[in-house]
Amino acid sequence: MIKFVILALISMAFMTLDYRKNRLLPVRTGLTKFLIYPVQYTVDLPYRLANFTQEFFSDHDELSKANRELRALVGVYAARDQKYHSIAKENQRLRSQLSATPAVREKFTLTEILSVSSNPFSKNVVINKGTDDGIFVGQVALAGNNIYGQTESVTPSSAVIMQLTDVKHAIHVRNVRTGQGALAVGTGKINRLELKHVETSMDIQTGDKFVSSGLGQLFPPDFPVAIVDSVEYNPGDSFMKVHARPFTDFSKTREILMIWRADYSSELEIKNNTGQEQEADK
Amino acid sequence: MEEINPRFTGAITLSVIIAFALTILPINEQWVLHRPEWLALTFIHWGLVSPSKSSLVFAWFVGLLIDSLYGTIMGQHALGFTIVLFLTLRMRSRLLMDSYFQQLFLLFLVLGTYLLINLWILGITGNTPEGWGYWYTVFSSLLIWPLYHYYMRLFHAQKKSF
Repeated sequence: MIKFVILALISMAFMTLDYRKNRLLPVRTGLTKFLIYPVQYTVDLPYRLANFTQEFFSDHDELSKANRELRALVGVYAARDQKYHSIAKENQRLRSQLSATPAVREKFTLTEILSVSSNPFSKNVVINKGTDDGIFVGQVALAGNNIYGQTESVTPSSAVIMQLTDVKHAIHVRNVRTGQGALAVGTGKINRLELKHVETSMDIQTGDKFVSSGLGQLFPPDFPVAIVDSVEYNPGDSFMKVHARPFTDFSKTREILMIWRADYSSELEIKNNTGQEQEADK
Repeated sequence: MEEINPRFTGAITLSVIIAFALTILPINEQWVLHRPEWLALTFIHWGLVSPSKSSLVFAWFVGLLIDSLYGTIMGQHALGFTIVLFLTLRMRSRLLMDSYFQQLFLLFLVLGTYLLINLWILGITGNTPEGWGYWYTVFSSLLIWPLYHYYMRLFHAQKKSF
């Protein structure tokens, strides 16, 4: 009985400490790194093994075909890259003439999803890179061309990425067709976002594409986020009920691109070190 | 019901590790809400069959692990599992252990309390889950219990045969 009371009190003390300020982050990180990560890795092992054997035994013809296609693709990208370089140089020159701040440069790295959150009420995944590879809290994650989410917490060898669809997540987006802004908030359901604060006078219809607006300084602007699924309006409500489907298919993505933006990643890291930057975009 | 010893040292820990693996095993999106509370079931099981070997501190620590795994506030599941085991130990002596109905009733009560406290903490920290989906796990846990309880016998000390 006494043991129970003491443990309950410790739990409550922990919760009080952890609430809002994340004072127990070192404890959490330590537990994740030394006890949870090994179990997660073991549980994920059969999937990796299956993937590996499948690749190992795949047909030679198929592989060479894939190889040919990829080579062709590299050629296309190289050509595009060339064009991009000349444009970037021109841009730099023009900016220096205008004495404007240099444009944002970005660096990417590819990471693999290690496990999907087992908590049904939060949408996040664990990736196989952490602070050792320069991942920081608040870092933007992409899947292909589209925005995937942001880093929620990080350990030396793994990191938790919060998906766009998590209930705690919100991102400011812009309608490609009209340029009007809205807030895309996660619903906690897979592949479903809700656009909040859409006034009834706003021009919005099913099929409208939304890209990140870049407001809030966290997400880079003009990356595809979601496409409108349904627009409902109940007379008497002040806002419309707009559901959208993210461009990223969260049920199929296995690889995530982490992105570094040259200009303010250092700034974010400083905030991260002081333990203040938890939900930068909220 | 007489007390049964674990089959070997670390049997309880091993069963908890298995339950942990079951908890983080990736499953189809449709079934996520129906995932039984494996760890709570494990603690209830050991609380029932081997009360002197079940440790509240261990349950608390495993709860802390789940908190760091789920990203929930530190102490939420720790408190939850401590309550689960404590209630089981408290109510165990009032049950006829061979009656599955009484066991299921205890399970319902303990899991209900556990989930309700979790829900309160989620509510206070501003993460209230939407809809009835939150409670599905009670029924899947109740359904899986007889099978789980049966197979947990693998971890019990075996009676000597002649």
